[in-house]
Amino acid sequence: MIECQGLSARHGTFRLAEVTFTVPTGQYGVVIGPAGSGKTTLLETIAGVVPATAGTLRLNGRDCTATEPEARGLSLVYQHAFLFPHLSVAHNIAYGAASSEQAEAVARRFGADALTGRPVRALSGGERQLVALARAFARRPAVVLLDEPFSALDPRRRTIVRREVRNLHREWGLTTLHVTHDFTEAGLLGDVAVLLDEGRALQWGAPEEVFRRPASPYIAEFLGAENVLAGTVRVLAEEAPDWLEGEPAPIAHGYRAIEFTTGALVLYTVGDYPLGTGYAVIRAEEIVLSLEPPAGSARNRFRGVVAELATLGALTRVTVDVAGVPLVASLTTRSAKELALKVGTDVTASFKAMAVHLC
Amino acid sequence: MNGRASGAPSREPQRIIAVLAAVASSILLLFLAAPIGQLIGAGGAEGIRRLGTDAELRQALALTATTATAATVLGVLGGTPLAYLLARREFRGRAVLSAVLDLPLLIPHPVAGIALLLLLGRDSVLGGTLISAGLRVVGTPLGIVAAMLFVAAPLFISGAREAFAKVDPRYEAVARTLGDSPLRAFLRVTLPLSRRGLIASSVVMWARAVSEFGAIVVLTYNPKVASVLSYDRFTGFGLEEALPVAAVLALLALIPLTALRTLRGADDGAAR
Repeated sequence: MIECQGLSARHGTFRLAEVTFTVPTGQYGVVIGPAGSGKTTLLETIAGVVPATAGTLRLNGRDCTATEPEARGLSLVYQHAFLFPHLSVAHNIAYGAASSEQAEAVARRFGADALTGRPVRALSGGERQLVALARAFARRPAVVLLDEPFSALDPRRRTIVRREVRNLHREWGLTTLHVTHDFTEAGLLGDVAVLLDEGRALQWGAPEEVFRRPASPYIAEFLGAENVLAGTVRVLAEEAPDWLEGEPAPIAHGYRAIEFTTGALVLYTVGDYPLGTGYAVIRAEEIVLSLEPPAGSARNRFRGVVAELATLGALTRVTVDVAGVPLVASLTTRSAKELALKVGTDVTASFKAMAVHLC
Repeated sequence: MNGRASGAPSREPQRIIAVLAAVASSILLLFLAAPIGQLIGAGGAEGIRRLGTDAELRQALALTATTATAATVLGVLGGTPLAYLLARREFRGRAVLSAVLDLPLLIPHPVAGIALLLLLGRDSVLGGTLISAGLRVVGTPLGIVAAMLFVAAPLFISGAREAFAKVDPRYEAVARTLGDSPLRAFLRVTLPLSRRGLIASSVVMWARAVSEFGAIVVLTYNPKVASVLSYDRFTGFGLEEALPVAAVLALLALIPLTALRTLRGADDGAAR
C-alpha cells in the first residue's frame, strides 16, 4: 500500500503541497497531470530521494516518511532510464537484483536479455527503458514507482511491455504507482487514478470516477471532457425524481432532481450539488445523435444542427449547435456515415440525466 | 532597394570578426607558449644532461615530486568530500564556504606563505603545539607540503566540484532505490562517473604544487624544492645556471598535463 497523508516536499523552487491519496496493496495507481505538475517530484518523495517536509508516507503499513530510500523496499524507474553508463547492460540489470537468476528471468520477460552484449551508450531510448524496467523489477520490490516508463517505446513494443508490467504486478502482488500522460494507458492500467496539478492532488479515486465525475471544470477540461458548460443550478425535488426510473438504483438514495440552465439549454440531472452557479460536464461519448427524436429513456433531448464534423480514424466528433450552445458528440465513423451526417443536418442530441456531472 | 536581396545578411562582417578573433587568439597562444617553448628549447637538453651530474638538482626534483604528491594526496582526501558537498547540497553558508576555498587562489603567494607562517610558526599556538609533539613544520618538507596544499588544493576542489556537478543526481537516486547506502552509491556510481574529472583535477593540483615558489620560499627555503633551487641559482650564479633547472622544472609540470590531455583525447575518441 502507498498511503500519502498531507505529504509535502520541496525540490529546488518546486513545492509538493499536502498530497493525500492511497493506493491499496496490490493495486495499480496512475498519476496524471500536466507537465510541471510535480508528478516526478511525487515519485521521488515517495522513493525518499527528495525528503518530505511535512505529512506522512506509509508503505505497506510502515511509516516510511523519514526512512532511507534503500530501506523502503521499492524501485524507481525514470523516464530517461538513467542506466549506469560505466556498467554493462547485464551489470545494470543485476545492480540491485535479488539474485542473478532473478535478474536473468526478468531480463528475458522484458526482452532485455537480447541487449546484454551491447554497451549502454549504444542503446536507443526505448531499449534503455526496457533495461531500466528489468533493473527495477529484478530487485523484486514490494512497491514500484514508474515515471513514464514506456514513453520511448514504439506502439507495438509498448503494448507488449505494458502487458508484462501488469502481469508482474499481478503475479508478485506489487503495489505500483505509474506516472503517465496517456489517458488510455491510465484507463487500461489503473485501479486508482491521482490527478496532480501545481504540486497538489486535485482528485483521486477509481479512474472511471475521476474521468466521469471530475471535481472541477479545470480537471474536466484537462481530462479531455468535450462539453464543460457554465450555468445555474435549481433543485426540482428533494427526493429521487420520477424520471429516474431505469437509472442505476444507488443514485436514488439521498440525491435530488436538479435543473441546470446554460444559455438557452435546460439540462436535467441528479446529484447533491449546492444551489447557485456551477459547471455541467458531459463526455462526448455519452451523447447520442439521431435524425428523429429517439424513443429511449434519455431525459435530455435537444434538436440542433450539425456545425462541424471531424473524423479521427474509427471515431467521428460531431459538433451540434443547439440554440447557440455547441454540444460535442463522439460516435463511430460508421454510425456517422449511416446517419449521412454533414454540416447543416438537423439532428437530435440526447443523453441521460446520469451523463450530466455537475462540479 | 539595392541589388542585394532583402533579408539576406551580408557575410562580410562575419568574416572580419572571424579574422580578428583568429588573430587575437593566435597572439595570445603565442604569448603563452613562446616563453615556455623558449625556456625548454634553451635549457631542456642541458637540464636533462645535468640530471646525471648535479646531485642537488636531483635531490630538489625528488623533493618537489614527493612533496607535491603528498600535498595532492592530502588535497584529494580532504577536498573530495568538500567538493561533493558543494556540488550536491544546498545549505546556508555555501557561498561563504566557496569564497573561503577560492581565497588562496586570489592572494599573492608570498602573502599565503606569511599567513601559513603565522599559523604554523613556533610562536603560534598550533605551531608550538606541533613542535612540542615533535612535529616541526617550518623549515622542513612538511612546510613545503603545507604551502603546496594551501595554494593548490582549491584547484582540485574547484575541478572536482565541477566533475560531481556533471553527474546527474538521479543516477545516485536510482542506486539508492536499488539498495545502496549513500556511501556505496557514491563509490559505485558517482565516483566512476566523475573519475575523469577527478583525475584531471588531481593532475592540475599536482602540477600547480610542483611549480609553487612564493609560499614555499617563506615557509621552507631549505631543503630546496626545484623552484627555490632555480631562484637560488639565478640570484647566486645568473641566468645560465638557473636555466637548466627551470627548464627541467617546466618539463616536470608539463609532462603529466600533456599525458592527461593526450589520454583524455584518446578516451573521447574511443567513446564516440
